[in-house]
Amino acid sequence: MKLVLIRTTINGRRYDLEVRPNMTLLDLLRDELGLTGTKRGCEVGECGACTVLMNGQAVNSCLVLAPQIDCQEVLTVEGLADGEKLHSLQESFLDHDAVHCGFCTPGMLMSAKDLLDHTPDPSEHEVRTAISGNLCRCSGYQQIVDAIKDVEGEKRKT
Amino acid sequence: MKPFEYYSPQSVPEAYNLLAQIGTGAKILAGGTDVLVELRKSADEVTGSIIDISRIVSLRGIEESGDTIVIKPLTTHTEILRSALVGMHAPLLKTAVAGIGSPQIRNRGTIGGNIMNAAACADTVPPLIALGARIRLQSSTGDRTVALSEFFTKPYVTVAQRGELLVEIRFPKLPFDARSSFMKLGRRNALSISRLSVAAILMRNQSGVITDARIVPGAALPTWHRVSEAENLLIGHQPTRELFVEAGKKVSEVMISFTGRRWSTEYKEPVIAVLVRRALEGCR
Repeated sequence: MKLVLIRTTINGRRYDLEVRPNMTLLDLLRDELGLTGTKRGCEVGECGACTVLMNGQAVNSCLVLAPQIDCQEVLTVEGLADGEKLHSLQESFLDHDAVHCGFCTPGMLMSAKDLLDHTPDPSEHEVRTAISGNLCRCSGYQQIVDAIKDVEGEKRKT
Repeated sequence: MKPFEYYSPQSVPEAYNLLAQIGTGAKILAGGTDVLVELRKSADEVTGSIIDISRIVSLRGIEESGDTIVIKPLTTHTEILRSALVGMHAPLLKTAVAGIGSPQIRNRGTIGGNIMNAAACADTVPPLIALGARIRLQSSTGDRTVALSEFFTKPYVTVAQRGELLVEIRFPKLPFDARSSFMKLGRRNALSISRLSVAAILMRNQSGVITDARIVPGAALPTWHRVSEAENLLIGHQPTRELFVEAGKKVSEVMISFTGRRWSTEYKEPVIAVLVRRALEGCR
């Protein structure tokens, strides 16, 4: 099995990497780059815990092979905050107590970011659809939906 | 995941030449939403070779060409969902892709993968067959076009030869006065596999009489096809609830004539009938 040379951008930083082709993007992020904010859940694309943005779109990183991010841009939960300053979505999750055990939170945040980047003023239905691929086993969905809707409220006020 | 050799061809000829060279054991990777799950499950020591076609630019996009819509196989479900062309000329296909998986799956999963994987629950197939879609397959030795209705032989098996690559899906635009719908029954809203589905298209003349009907059930028959027995019940009549109920019963009968009575029939028999009625009502 030959290693594959890839050039990619993760959280704004350029990487030249040699990867095993049978490694997923999730494996690469967690095991090679130490970006453990992205969670390993079901590994079959059903739970959404491993959601990251690839070229601005939410994807399950367990269903992307590491070589497939060659020349692509990846954003993980670690890339949301600006230094010490949290992203408005993260602030809103804190304000609404939208974090229980926290395992689904990184994935929820990334799905929400995809939504808000493409749909500035989403309806409740749009919010629920956007996180329909993310399971929260603490079942704290209402707080998560409220948090996502309120980010936009805050943005509009300013 | 078991080791494999990885290739990422940049063009269609490069891809089918690789397929020909490698022969057995070459697997095509597009969106990966099915293939990666399989690869992880695979008990084989070595999976062989993965040919990742996901970055072949010419296999992406939706175009119109006269009265025809052409969808390239690497077009994602999200791209179909957002396509104004599909929304206008094949709204039932848009409804079908909206119900596939989750946003994450729709962002990666492709229409070509949905066809080539050939699972009985593939949601794009009933609408495409109702639309009269044809697909184009290319290999290092040939180039042919097949009606999608003749492409599948049984679940997970198609007439595609080893070495053939799906390069195009095309179907005629629906006439402006046609009404269409797609109904899916799953166990929940998101990330659910179709238990049963129905794609329906109705055309009526100015006095309201049905002039053309197409009904394609999904996950109900051994392979997908139009149920002409039910379609013929509708043609020449005014659309009424009673007529749609009859058509639903007919589809149910046809399904049982193919599958026989089995453990799931008690459930599927009434449910497919209701789903057909609702799909037809959705065409009004």
